[in-house]
Amino acid sequence: MRLSLSRVGYAAMAVLGAATLLAAGPGATPAARAAETIRIASPYQTTTLDPMRSSTAGNIETYGLLYGHLLLSDPQSGAPEPGLAKSWDISADGLTYTFHLRDAEFSDGSPITAADVVFSLQRIHSDKKSAYPAPLSAVDTITASGDKTVVIKLKTPFAPFLGNLQIWNMGIVSKADVTRRGAEAFTKVPLSSGAYMVKEWRPNEKLTLVPNPHYWRKGYPKSAATVELKEVISPETRLAMLKAGEIDVMRAVPWTQIDELKALGTVDMKLEPSTTIYMTLLNDRREPFSNPKARLAAAYAIDNKAMTKALTRGYGVPANTTLPNGVNFHDDDYPGIPHDIAKARELLKESGMAGHEVKLLAHSSATDQQTALLLQAQWQAIGLKTTIVNVDHGAWVDAIHKGDYDATAYWWYNETSDPDLAVRWAVCGTCGSHSYYTYYENPKVDELVEQGTREADPAKRAAIYKEIQKISTEEVAQIPLYYAPNATAYSKRLKGLRLTPSLQWTLEDTTIVK
Amino acid sequence: MNVLSALVRRLLQLIGVMIGIAIVSFLMVHLAPGDPVSLLAGDRTNPAVIAGIRHQYGLDLPLWRQFIVYVGNLMHGDIGRSLRFQQPVAELIVRFMWPTLFLTGYVLCLAIPSTMALAVIAARRPGGFADQTIRAIGIVGLAIPVFWLGIMMSRLFGVTLGWFPVSGYGVGVGDHLYHLFLPALSTTIWLVPVLTQSLRAALIDGTNADFVTAARAQGASEREIFWKTILPNSVLPTLNLLGVMVAFLIGGAIIVEIVYAVPGLGSLMIGALLGRDYYVVQGLALVFAMATVAVTLIVDLLTAFIDPRVRV
Repeated sequence: MRLSLSRVGYAAMAVLGAATLLAAGPGATPAARAAETIRIASPYQTTTLDPMRSSTAGNIETYGLLYGHLLLSDPQSGAPEPGLAKSWDISADGLTYTFHLRDAEFSDGSPITAADVVFSLQRIHSDKKSAYPAPLSAVDTITASGDKTVVIKLKTPFAPFLGNLQIWNMGIVSKADVTRRGAEAFTKVPLSSGAYMVKEWRPNEKLTLVPNPHYWRKGYPKSAATVELKEVISPETRLAMLKAGEIDVMRAVPWTQIDELKALGTVDMKLEPSTTIYMTLLNDRREPFSNPKARLAAAYAIDNKAMTKALTRGYGVPANTTLPNGVNFHDDDYPGIPHDIAKARELLKESGMAGHEVKLLAHSSATDQQTALLLQAQWQAIGLKTTIVNVDHGAWVDAIHKGDYDATAYWWYNETSDPDLAVRWAVCGTCGSHSYYTYYENPKVDELVEQGTREADPAKRAAIYKEIQKISTEEVAQIPLYYAPNATAYSKRLKGLRLTPSLQWTLEDTTIVK
Repeated sequence: MNVLSALVRRLLQLIGVMIGIAIVSFLMVHLAPGDPVSLLAGDRTNPAVIAGIRHQYGLDLPLWRQFIVYVGNLMHGDIGRSLRFQQPVAELIVRFMWPTLFLTGYVLCLAIPSTMALAVIAARRPGGFADQTIRAIGIVGLAIPVFWLGIMMSRLFGVTLGWFPVSGYGVGVGDHLYHLFLPALSTTIWLVPVLTQSLRAALIDGTNADFVTAARAQGASEREIFWKTILPNSVLPTLNLLGVMVAFLIGGAIIVEIVYAVPGLGSLMIGALLGRDYYVVQGLALVFAMATVAVTLIVDLLTAFIDPRVRV
């Protein structure tokens, strides 16, 4: 009896052992196979290939690779440079922009004409599915004049216009293809006008791109390598993949992993400039934060220098105004609202909101949870009864749109270095976003926002944006927390790859060191 | 045993289950806060634009009308299109199903032999050294969270030692075995203790049963007694438990798939839930329900095969 039972046991173990051996058998070499592939792992998903339809981080990064723009920006200064338009003229009154197109082709070899440009920009401007028409809000008409000239007329002079044409959703799509295939044009392999074209899209997993042989910039992409944009939610997994050599680029490195990656010889751990600001939204439509003094009290209660150090391990910069420090005309000298608990308590008492409940919404990532806990502790200290409510992003957006929150910490970034879209998004009460759904509204600020776009002189614009920052920070449109660089780790075999502040990969300039 | 009538009965049962799942999953995704359109378009999109797109997709209709449309499409075998990717849900599910099924099969191949071996060794001398050791290790295996074990194993075997890949699914069967080894092992370490305890207890019961004594008295060899008497009588509870576990693995491999970036149904489910991709979530719920019914059917058929007293 005993004998036979143990024999069965050992037989079974042998089977298990064989299975293990079999599994370990094909000792493939992933590194060798991947020599001609640049693999980027990001938590941000590509959910649509239609450049008009989304403004989420994953999609923005993809659009820049697939679709060419009229203008490029100088990598250093951000100044407009020729793209699909080889030159342009601006009328003396600043109302008419004329773009002269170069000879260029889509990925199937068909020519990119003025009709395609007009079609693409009009979709962004007035299609009902256009996710972000704001950059073209000043546009009156877009017309073609012949095959190679596009004329755009504005309603009013608009200083940031050329900058706005470089934004991620301004990519040029093929009129013929999109008219013929409709939404289908973007579900598998769209025609591409940029440096890369789609080889295969496996939604929720990865997007595989290959160089577009018809790209107008001859000699680009510099490397013939295939590009894989992999979607990997877990930062631990991205880290393991990078260390094991299964990817070349790790996007969105958590603050806690930066030191570990810096110590790694095979990796460039880069903290690249961004236009990202982390801040706390306060709901101005209900108590306690409908009360200006309670808002100010909440701001005085926050020690954002200590928070920045604790949350970002010193890699972020404490924010001093409501605008990102990466945009032009950011006021570096503004002192910000200091940390002063006594004053905070006094203000809260004056406001009559002492002891009031605060519903603090929090996302689930480690940093978001820590941020919420720190805010809660600091507000409890001055007498605000703060309760943390955990939500995923879907429920968060829902609550923000409905105004069903009192406070929440989150981040945003600006697509360009020009501050116009930033102020419209974050502190303008009449620009559609109701100051990022806080319903902060100051007619003076709204007026300054409009002035800022009509003014062409940079010195005068600087003064206008300085004023906007001063008013909106003092009135606590939001509580600025910190400015965060883009933390990205690159394999050292890649040269020339970076993530720009506008969240675009410079893959076409990238080469692989053998 | 009338397999045909069993199949027909299960098929009828399946229809009931599917209707229930369709209603529940529909209500759950639609009543949860959050909107697929605003998540697709991004934070900066104007609510008016979002309302327009919702209208185009019929998401602004009353819930009961949306449900009728959904059921109508289901009747025609159409489980819809992903709101985000604009690709058919069926195509997505089929693509993501293979890694999950492969992983499940892999786990079974690792777990069944080890369960047999460990249970038999433990049952040989209940309370003995081997039994205690196996139980202690089993408790540790059960107590360690799968995600933590997954991360630790990928760090050790993937990063430090470089023996196995830490992500993906690979191309071709050999590559699948190689890529899914760590995920399968992580799951196995959690699964085997559960099964072992069940089988061990049944084996001990079986060894002491009267019919074993009777068989021995009739002069059967120990080997014969084990294979023909003890094992068939002991394996059934564990088989049923295994059935539940397999159904759970197909729908619940989420954690291990996320940790090892395996493009399986679990990762599709997470993405679809976070993106409120209604039809994908609902389609997956239906697939999981079907898988559960199918697994239970297979277990029942096997049970009847092993123990003729059981009628399907």
